[in-house]
Amino acid sequence: MFGKSFPFYNSLGGFYPRGNGFPSPGTCRFRLSLDARKPPGTGYTSKVRVRDRYHIVGFISSGTYGRVYKALGKNGQKGEFAIKKFKPDKEGEIVQYTGLSQSAIREMALCSELDHPNVVQLAEIILEDKCIFMVFEYTEHDLLQIIHHHTQQQRHAIPALMVRSILFQLLNGLLYLHTNWVLHRDLKPANILVTSSGAIRIGDLGLARLFYKPLNSLFSGDKVVVTIWYRAPELLMGSRHYTPAVDLWAVGCIFAELLSLRPIFKGEEAKMDSKKTVPFQRNQMMKIIEIMGMPTKEIWPGLVSMPEYSQLQSLAMSRAPGHFNRSSNLEVWYQNCLKNNGYSANSSAGTPGADGFDLLSRLLEYDPTKRITAQEALEHPYFKNGGPISANCFEGFEGKYPHRRVTQDDNDIRSGSLPGTKRSGLPDDSLLGRATKRLKE
Amino acid sequence: MAANYWASTQRRHWLFSREKLAEIRDNFRERDKVAHTQFPLPDQRLLNIYFSQQLIKLGKRMSTRQQALATAQVYVKRFYTKNEIRHTNPYLVVTTAFYLACKMEECPQHIRFVVGEARGLWPEFIAPDVSKLGECEFSLISEMNSQLIVHHPYRTLSELQPELSLTSDEVALAWSVINDHYLTDLPLLYPPHVIAVMAIIVAVVFKPSQTSFHGSAAPLASAMRDGGMNILAALGDKNGNAPPARIQRLIAWLGESEVDIKAVIECTQELVSLYEVWEQYSEKHCKELLGRMVKSKNLDK
Repeated sequence: MFGKSFPFYNSLGGFYPRGNGFPSPGTCRFRLSLDARKPPGTGYTSKVRVRDRYHIVGFISSGTYGRVYKALGKNGQKGEFAIKKFKPDKEGEIVQYTGLSQSAIREMALCSELDHPNVVQLAEIILEDKCIFMVFEYTEHDLLQIIHHHTQQQRHAIPALMVRSILFQLLNGLLYLHTNWVLHRDLKPANILVTSSGAIRIGDLGLARLFYKPLNSLFSGDKVVVTIWYRAPELLMGSRHYTPAVDLWAVGCIFAELLSLRPIFKGEEAKMDSKKTVPFQRNQMMKIIEIMGMPTKEIWPGLVSMPEYSQLQSLAMSRAPGHFNRSSNLEVWYQNCLKNNGYSANSSAGTPGADGFDLLSRLLEYDPTKRITAQEALEHPYFKNGGPISANCFEGFEGKYPHRRVTQDDNDIRSGSLPGTKRSGLPDDSLLGRATKRLKE
Repeated sequence: MAANYWASTQRRHWLFSREKLAEIRDNFRERDKVAHTQFPLPDQRLLNIYFSQQLIKLGKRMSTRQQALATAQVYVKRFYTKNEIRHTNPYLVVTTAFYLACKMEECPQHIRFVVGEARGLWPEFIAPDVSKLGECEFSLISEMNSQLIVHHPYRTLSELQPELSLTSDEVALAWSVINDHYLTDLPLLYPPHVIAVMAIIVAVVFKPSQTSFHGSAAPLASAMRDGGMNILAALGDKNGNAPPARIQRLIAWLGESEVDIKAVIECTQELVSLYEVWEQYSEKHCKELLGRMVKSKNLDK
């Protein structure tokens, strides 16, 4: 059932005519604020207004980029939407045009090109009042929320078949991104969206970028990528030229988290100092070493040339000899995880089994050049064995997940800004309008 | 798809037929006849040469890569398929396209720096206030429907270099032919691989004997005509006199590659006519006409 979602890909780089088989020119997904000119000059006024096209239902979440709202289509436009509002640089003061952030530009440009069942769907982009509004399809769930639900009250494992479907769809979306030379660079449970019909959509492309022959090294563009718990060892070791393998490490972390219901490498982030130099993430590296063993140049030949290699050595020296295992404890971790969460062939949850372990260990491979690719992962026995994979990850699942929390007022600051979450902040009156203001008074 | 030309917005939304492009421009003329009579502008290609030279000046101080300049040129072209140039301040549009292209090509420059540099070059036309550029950025993105990823022929050229065993001189010449094609409507008319093949043919058929390409447009133009005929003849008449081995090899590859030969030849002709019209180019003339237009219509305010 996933056959058609594998992308057409031309190994020559997609530049040569093949006669037929090209995707037909699709209809424009945009209804942008055209006719936005007020001659003379290049002044800008939007003709399309967010509030004319959408009824804002409430506030969903916020992040460094701005805020996300839930909305309903208006004036004949059906459906639910999530509207991401990029905040202008300076808030509070009189808002001025200050130039859009590179992150907003990337996300707008990439989302306008991408089209895949496992990547979030963009409905339109509205530029209005010096703000950018990216209108996406609404997704009822995300992996963070699903994992959280399973830890509540009676802790119960996510069924093994659901985990398998989630992972397959996630890898399928990732293969599409990588085939199109897009690195996501911020995969984590909160960014993996799930529709009410169980389809996985990779979301938040704010850190994503093209990596085809970059003009500058990827490092020089963005010093820090990927939320700390999901950050690959080569990034922690200061690698300048990283690859799509960074996304597969994050998939490994997400896989482990789906099974154990906690982040597998839950380190503490070292903050940047005043000189804005990027610190060595010692604690995070240690969390990885505790489970994966101390990396060596035998298993990871590139290790010795990594910028932070000396830091790793001093980390090893800081403990008694033999404190860190040279070999991996991942299998012990995995068996404990299966046992603690009631995964077995006879249980209702089922089990990811030995194939699941093998895939996990290939995703959490230290050496990025040996780490499994999205394509290889999709062909792994974990997916090949054990029957068909449903495109609805909820298929056969009896339980019900709560709907996404949408707030109307500003008292929701419960989850702070922990890594892996991003639900905090205040609703924005400018969008919610008078109703909210009255509530606050 | 971001890196697949066939599914790209460039192919789906920014590829025009010659007729369509002419119609768009006729409509602009119809809608504002007064401005067109009052403010005549040089041939589009001469204006493009002018804009391109201004962009190069702007990019030089910031050592911007050619690909970002190429993207900026494409943005300017796209913008002027939606807007009458006589209603805009072209200096602001060019600067904004540059600023946006640098972000898109992952070599960002700070808005203050870009405005500062632009003011250094064209103090009468660029306001010190960065918000003008920020506002123009909204116009540009909106007119381009946020479709900012541009596929360039440079990539095909570097992919074909090993396949066709191109020498570094040939690659360099093909590269400069690609640079020149941004001065024409070709980026709006043909897919990048057709342009790349055209550039390779030009480079292989006309050995890079001339160090300066632009100064001596006339002999080159006529040489290209002859060369174009050579290729045509070789392709059409399989029993005719064999062309040199190197060209033969290219022709063999062309035959197998399914590249649209007719399109390639049309591109070559477009380039030839660019080099012919180039002889009339006068920076001073462009500057005067644009300056008069911007100033008398208060487009810089």
